[in-house]
Amino acid sequence: MIESLNSFFLWLDLGDFVGKNDWVWPICEILHFFGMAAIIGTVGLTDARMLGLAKGIPIKALEKFIPLGVIGFLINIVTGVIFIAGNPVGGPIEYLTNLALQLKMLLVLIAGINLLAFYFTGIEKKVAGLPADGDAPTGAKVVAIVSLIAWFGVIFMGRLIMYNDTLLYALGL
Amino acid sequence: MNWIDAIQNSAYPVWVRESPSIFAFTWILSLHAMGLAIIVGVNAIMALRLLGFVPEIRPQALRKLFPWMYVGFTINAFSGLSLLAANLDNDSHNFMFLLKLTFIALAMTNMELLRAKVFDNPAFVAGGPLPSQARTFALLSLVLWTSAIICGRLSEYPYLVEAFTGIGRLGGK
Repeated sequence: MIESLNSFFLWLDLGDFVGKNDWVWPICEILHFFGMAAIIGTVGLTDARMLGLAKGIPIKALEKFIPLGVIGFLINIVTGVIFIAGNPVGGPIEYLTNLALQLKMLLVLIAGINLLAFYFTGIEKKVAGLPADGDAPTGAKVVAIVSLIAWFGVIFMGRLIMYNDTLLYALGL
Repeated sequence: MNWIDAIQNSAYPVWVRESPSIFAFTWILSLHAMGLAIIVGVNAIMALRLLGFVPEIRPQALRKLFPWMYVGFTINAFSGLSLLAANLDNDSHNFMFLLKLTFIALAMTNMELLRAKVFDNPAFVAGGPLPSQARTFALLSLVLWTSAIICGRLSEYPYLVEAFTGIGRLGGK
């Protein structure tokens, strides 16, 4: 799988573009941080509300901000692809074999499956009908905890990509 | 030895900078990104509501979001001071870093003014309409936090900043 991903990122052929334009990397980083804040501000705040914090704000109303988080996520996919395909030093393979990045992608996948569970197992319908200070059912709280752990884990692993050796050392690898 | 070196070479900053533990530099750096996402993300939701989005949220209920912005700020004051002490010589002479601190000070002042002028306004607390200054505070908060993130990222690229603005290392050695 890593081989075919590597071919895909090499096919994008962004190495020269990123390598020769010094500003591309920092600008993509800035956008990546905006995307991160948009996800935590929307999805994370909805999770916090389902756990019983900030009662008085209806969960259904907070859900209306989630499209902003989706935009943040899309920005981060685009900028993330630019980072991997455009890595000026070790090329895409350096990132694809990076444990922190692999764990980050696993956590994104878990967050995604968790989101599907929220919308397609009837949990969303239950919380959407709650009053402004209503208490979310246990299923919603489980979804919220998984979501918060996954997204903050994404941030942790994202920061560790540059310090993969530290992660390997901590895991005794 | 000047005071900058004295701080930078004392026990805790040295541990933050040099320990191979994942809970030293890398965890503190990750906390800084998490705190950023919380304060900027939650602020964005509050600002968007004050600007008129998602009117089904009672504006008075937004007061419940302040503690979460303080949580984000506290995490980042702790992690930020730790990272600063560990890299005091470079940071204290870094133009973009100092500009970022300025934007954060302005953003926090703006937040406190929003709280005092809008959320502590007796007519508003009693259920009255949103005071007209709310939109200005909201817009300013988005501009100031956005600027803080941009400067924070650019502080990692002093050579690019110097090439673009002509402003290099400020004072010092």
